[in-house]
Amino acid sequence: MRAPESLPALRVVASPATLDGLAWPDGVTALRLATDDLLIIGKAMVALDDEPAIVEKDAGYAGWWLTPDEFADAVLPHVDWALPVTRPVLAQGLVAGVPAKIWLTDDRALLLCAVAYAHELAERLA
Amino acid sequence: MRSSPGRFLLDGVSLAYEPGDTLAVAVVRAGAHPGQGGTLCLAGDCGNCVAEVDGIAYVRTCQTPASAELTVRRHPPGGPPAWHDPAPSRATPEVRRMEADVVVVGGGASGRAAAAESGRAGRRVILLDAGEGIEVIALYAGPTLIVRTREGLLHVRAPEVVVATGAAEIQPVCSGNQLAGLVTARAARQLYAAGIDLGVAVAIGPPPDGVPCMPLPGELVRIEGEERVSGVVTLHGGSEHTTPCDTLILNLGRSPRDVLARMADDLPVTVVGSAAEAFPLPPAPSAGIVCPCVGIGVDDLEGVWARGFQELELVKRASLVGTGTCQGSVCLPHVRAWIAARTGDTPGPFTARPASRQITLGEAAADVHLDAFRRTPLHDEHIALGAQMDRFGGWWRPWTYGDHLAEYRAVREAVSLGDVSTLGKFVVDGPDTVAFLQRLYPTDVASIRPGRSRYALLLNERGHVIDDGMICRESESRFVLTFTTGGAGNAEMWMRDWVETWGLRVLLLDRTMSLAAINVTGPRAGDLLARVGLADPPRFLQHVRTELAGMPCHVMRLSFTGEASFEIHHPIDRSADLWRGLMAVGEDLEIRPHGLQALFGLRLEKGHVIIGMDTELDTTPRRLGMEWAVNMDKPEFLGRDALARTAGLPDQRRLVGLTMPGTAPTEGSPIWSDSDIVGHVTSSFASPTLGQAVMLGWLKRAPFPTQVEIDGRPAVVTPPPFYDPEGLRARS
Repeated sequence: MRAPESLPALRVVASPATLDGLAWPDGVTALRLATDDLLIIGKAMVALDDEPAIVEKDAGYAGWWLTPDEFADAVLPHVDWALPVTRPVLAQGLVAGVPAKIWLTDDRALLLCAVAYAHELAERLA
Repeated sequence: MRSSPGRFLLDGVSLAYEPGDTLAVAVVRAGAHPGQGGTLCLAGDCGNCVAEVDGIAYVRTCQTPASAELTVRRHPPGGPPAWHDPAPSRATPEVRRMEADVVVVGGGASGRAAAAESGRAGRRVILLDAGEGIEVIALYAGPTLIVRTREGLLHVRAPEVVVATGAAEIQPVCSGNQLAGLVTARAARQLYAAGIDLGVAVAIGPPPDGVPCMPLPGELVRIEGEERVSGVVTLHGGSEHTTPCDTLILNLGRSPRDVLARMADDLPVTVVGSAAEAFPLPPAPSAGIVCPCVGIGVDDLEGVWARGFQELELVKRASLVGTGTCQGSVCLPHVRAWIAARTGDTPGPFTARPASRQITLGEAAADVHLDAFRRTPLHDEHIALGAQMDRFGGWWRPWTYGDHLAEYRAVREAVSLGDVSTLGKFVVDGPDTVAFLQRLYPTDVASIRPGRSRYALLLNERGHVIDDGMICRESESRFVLTFTTGGAGNAEMWMRDWVETWGLRVLLLDRTMSLAAINVTGPRAGDLLARVGLADPPRFLQHVRTELAGMPCHVMRLSFTGEASFEIHHPIDRSADLWRGLMAVGEDLEIRPHGLQALFGLRLEKGHVIIGMDTELDTTPRRLGMEWAVNMDKPEFLGRDALARTAGLPDQRRLVGLTMPGTAPTEGSPIWSDSDIVGHVTSSFASPTLGQAVMLGWLKRAPFPTQVEIDGRPAVVTPPPFYDPEGLRARS
């Protein structure tokens, strides 16, 4: 497994309705970590009209963009829980015993975890 | 596929086997017993044929095909298998995973029928058959089955599980039931089919079809012989009859193989066929070994019963019956019958838990990971500086950089850096934030002005201290909260639960792993920070957002060490730059980093508690001597009712400061008074500055003594802080 890449992001915490109404350009990956919590990977600006919100730059994630084959070979054997079958989808759970998130689309996968765990996950997937 | 004839090693002696033989059958063919005696079922149900195979103990030889590569050693009589030192090196078994719509466990008629039915319905079916060497050893929620195969372990997940494991044969419990030459009816058929001469064979119960033997009428009384059966005594027509024999065939009934079904509890598991049948229990035994795996006899059952363990689960725990190799397959029907005879009620079977088969440590560890420990962004900096790293609160942290006293002096006399990135860090905002924090904390949060911060305890509903940290107010509605390293995860759940419970409009963001934090501490801390751009440093308990060395930082002025301290929160991707920059510009200020060992001593001189180290699960602010941190004038906060209710009650516990000359006693040392232990030391440090040992410790007997003994030496109860009690240095 190659070294993880940093994933500069924007973190937006706001009401579910506010987050539902947000839009972003192509090339941006927006992961809904919770109903009130959004992680936007890539360059994005968020405009919120007087809504209570917490918007913070977030350098706390690192990860791997993978092809479906790479994901099946390197990651799937370390996932001891049922992955959702729909696409695109965000799944969250332990990968090789490390808290991680998995973003799955039809043509690629993103495995990400907190930077604090990235070394551990990389070693376990090696 | 049948193997060719060959030879394997049994206890160092070469032994022949025939095609199709298991190890057990080959040993019986040679006229010996594969285990230590007792009835052979040859179906994997009992533990009477277990032996060490290629260095692995407790292998069922009746389930292991004989092959020329194998070395078999029988377990020593009456003792555990031989210990190999060093243990043979083995690769960790590989774990494969499969998913299906239905998993059927058992390849008998009912299992095949269940699999066929599901297959016809178009469902993906996996059939796991122990007869093919595929043993299901555990069933967990999911449901997930843990399966041992000859190639490694298999984890199978399916929404529906069918247990079709059939029934085991009842084994005899009577005097002499541990002799060789006893076989069940199925085993007799298997041996006869393998061409093994059973000699003079007699049968108790219906004789097996096709096996030459003499059926005996009556009930089994006892079995006679030295190591091997020579005769059987039966009760028939009101008198005992002895019948000589070479082999005793026992067909005493059946019991369901339901260990997996009993593991299932609330899982979607269907039990079919014989495994679901309620077979009659055997007669209550009056003598002999009940549990051959553990060597528990009827007299042992009587012993624990006489001591008051008069319920099946208690009998099991007190006697260990049913805890051995076969996990109750042999003994459970007999123990149930034995209890039923005493109570008049037939107890249900005892609980089954994974694993149902003996597994190796390698199999237990396969695909299991140690807890993942986090690294701060400064991990490599610490390593480069020679730090000895250790695990604390789920993180790797520097314990010392090699000279904790030099680190201590740097804090007290110059300037030092500490990596506090592990602290819990949260942003809360929203229209109800103040109302939320007022109810969450025992301090008056509303009175904290923007730009100011306050130390706070976190209490549960019982008024017990569950964490502590800082409350930093940034604006009317926005706050930054910090928590202890070990408490951050719980703090988030705690806050989210209460936001939801109270129905408040509060937004919460955990920044613990997105922000790093460096504590710059020491009398020259202000000088150091001025060099990286902090021209107007915040005063004690103030905080500012500013740029340091070109990066956005949140600087909090506080003190855990007792010296002027600035906690700098900043993005983790810039942390190493900031650390190196501070170390570089502080060189002439005699800067050096400090690890936890020094920090624990520094804070102890100030009497600061560490939650979890100095506190217990039911520690209240009063017991800590920290009632000042609680504002009982507030109408409502978590724990207030409990604190109000208990305020007037006598309390026999206090965390106190202690001092004594000489070396610091071991943490955990008992505190003595009048020849009684009245408490224990929670934290201890030989203070270089104060020239004595300083401690925190619990006194748990009132009236609280002022003079005590620790480590055989006199110690004095001394109110903390021990160092700079006016707090002037922290504020300077």
